[in-house]
Amino acid sequence: MRSTRLTALAAVSALLLAACGGGASGGGEDALALPGKDEYLAAPCPEVGTKPTTGGEFTYWSMWTKDEPQGQVLTKAMNCFTEKTGVKVDVQWLGRKLLTQNLAPALNTDDVPDLFDQDVSQVKAAIVAPGGTQTVEDVLDYKIGEGDKTVRDVLPRSVWDFPANKDADGKIFEIPYERIGNAWWFNKDLITDFTAPQSIDELFGLFDKAKENGMAAVSQDGDIDFYNAYFYTQIAERYVGAGGLEKAALDKTGQAWVADPNLAKAAEPVERLAKGGYLIDGWDAAKFPQVQQRWADGEAAYVFLGGWAPSETREYLAKQGGDKGITYATFQFPQPEGATHRVVEQLPLGFAVTKKAKNPEAAKAFIAYMMNKDILSGIATVADNLTSRPDLPTPESMTDIKAALDSDAEKTIFMDGLDALSGGKWVESVFYPLNNDLLKGKLTAQEFVRQLAAKQAEFWKTNG
Amino acid sequence: MSTATAPGRPPAPGAHLARKKRLFFPFFLPAVALYVLFLLVPTVATVVLGFTDWSGAGDTPEFTGLANYSELIASDAFRYSFLNTLLYIVVGGVGTFLLAFLFTMVLREMRGGKVVRAILFFPNIVAPIALGMFFGIILVYRPNRQGLANYLLESVGIDAVKFLAPENITWVVTGCLIWASSGFYITILMAAVDRIPPYLYEDSDIAGATPWQKFRHVTLPLTWDVVGVAGVLWTISAVKIFELVFVLAGPGTYSPPIRSWTLGVFVFDRSFGDQGAPAYGTACAAAVVMILLVSVLVVALRRLMRRDVIQY
Repeated sequence: MRSTRLTALAAVSALLLAACGGGASGGGEDALALPGKDEYLAAPCPEVGTKPTTGGEFTYWSMWTKDEPQGQVLTKAMNCFTEKTGVKVDVQWLGRKLLTQNLAPALNTDDVPDLFDQDVSQVKAAIVAPGGTQTVEDVLDYKIGEGDKTVRDVLPRSVWDFPANKDADGKIFEIPYERIGNAWWFNKDLITDFTAPQSIDELFGLFDKAKENGMAAVSQDGDIDFYNAYFYTQIAERYVGAGGLEKAALDKTGQAWVADPNLAKAAEPVERLAKGGYLIDGWDAAKFPQVQQRWADGEAAYVFLGGWAPSETREYLAKQGGDKGITYATFQFPQPEGATHRVVEQLPLGFAVTKKAKNPEAAKAFIAYMMNKDILSGIATVADNLTSRPDLPTPESMTDIKAALDSDAEKTIFMDGLDALSGGKWVESVFYPLNNDLLKGKLTAQEFVRQLAAKQAEFWKTNG
Repeated sequence: MSTATAPGRPPAPGAHLARKKRLFFPFFLPAVALYVLFLLVPTVATVVLGFTDWSGAGDTPEFTGLANYSELIASDAFRYSFLNTLLYIVVGGVGTFLLAFLFTMVLREMRGGKVVRAILFFPNIVAPIALGMFFGIILVYRPNRQGLANYLLESVGIDAVKFLAPENITWVVTGCLIWASSGFYITILMAAVDRIPPYLYEDSDIAGATPWQKFRHVTLPLTWDVVGVAGVLWTISAVKIFELVFVLAGPGTYSPPIRSWTLGVFVFDRSFGDQGAPAYGTACAAAVVMILLVSVLVVALRRLMRRDVIQY
């Protein structure tokens, strides 16, 4: 059944494609009509808006590998940039760990790349903190090759203007090209009578219904600390607003955790999740990504993950063979009772320029060129992710997440940036161990905040 | 040719010594230079940097005295790392050597003992990181599609065990460690056992000694010095335990939870951690603790194992 439907879908999209000649405008039904990968890669190169005056070349250290979809998009961008400007790009595909394993040690020398990329949070903690970047604020006024449009014209302020993207001088250090959101994911083929929950009770209603249908309610890869942290931080942010958790975490006495009763209240649903047996049996005794694969296999109804869920599970299902696919759908955490802040987490991912860069101008011109719609759209069409431009096409599985990110809700970065505090040591010693215990049902909500307060006071005494 | 020394007459001993002296520095200096450059200087640098606050990312080290060490003492992550490392050294060591001794008792008399020895050595030729991944698959707890270990347990009617759960992981790693390293020590000990003259065992047989008595009164005393060296080797390698823990206790891509850390994981995390600027100063201080720990343990072990060597 499923395969016939997919074939039909493919046929319809092909027809639509032919009808619009690839010029899809995105959103809604048009999302099905995104130009395909081959079409994107074969398309002619757009013009460069702001050309570098220096020419020559620049070096780029990438967080991707060459064969990954994002790697393919960036390869196309670099080839086009070289074709239009004559500037060569010397690229090294280093993968996700490039900041701590390659770039940070390289900062001790003069042999640094001009351009690099990673998510805002990691770049700030690893490279901006020791002073390794220069601001890219000037790039906002670079032209992107679409008439007189500049980077500032196409990127909404919320994508680049937030505290986590500011260096010591208060200037931005990164121009994002991809936005990662997160959500509860489910398979529409399995959960047929779904209505988005409006309260925490309704959320648990969904979980109970899944259990009645013989499925586990929630899948969770328990060996990744920061995955375990999603539940509490998502709920707590809605009580204390963007930046509220970070403020509590920075309180030297730790008393902030007990002073605001909402912070304990936010832990109650997590306690309920743990003690009610909603998490899939074995979630805490497996290795990533085994548990999310169980979700993909249909053993669990829901999983809370970032926007990378479809690409990771699709890859797994493809390797398993067979014709089983997933119709991905998402929803956000409902507003908890008494919570007054509407908050959405985002994790912008973008380009930064090193302080010691030898060719900053060329690197910055390339950043602006990346924002051109004919280049940037590859992030959606080839890499199946959200671009930093709201006006570009959206992969179908991401439409709900995009709506949340484009809404007027308060934006904060993942975990309210807690994982970057004190170089990651705060979460590692204070938050993660206690949060893991909460999720395992070893602590009550009250014990959780009380122990957070005590542990945090002890932590800041030596790390203050 | 005319200057050649007459055949049959040995060269003057002074000439040989002079030549030896002339060659001394050309041979000695490169070795010393390399040793100083690549071992001594980095070690001294590690000790010095241990007294500084340095993230190692383009900033300048700042002298902070003993601040790194007091931070280590106060840090939960370090406390767990230190205690786990000790646990692996002691419990893993006792387990490994018990297993190794057991095999020396059996293997000597066993037919096909050489083949068994070779097989037991196999885990050593596999990278620990691969072993970690392998055990991660074997030990997974997944109802209806269990890993091999739980599959076997369930097939004999025993409930599956959550081997990889955080509260069990330290013991599971210890077990894997013993499994992976005993082959190496069996090989070393068996080499020593093979040197023991067979008539000593024949004598014991005639006297009606049990395998344990033969081990206690023949094998152990005659291999004592080798056991001592093997113990030192174990201590040195166990202080560095890293990969197996990193991939078995965590997802492999990120550092595992601190409760399972070892000193090796701690130093790695502070140098190349998941998040944040590296903290080379702290990493250096922890590395110094590792050097001290291994020195203390090795000296203690040598003193403990000191016996007169038995000639045979």
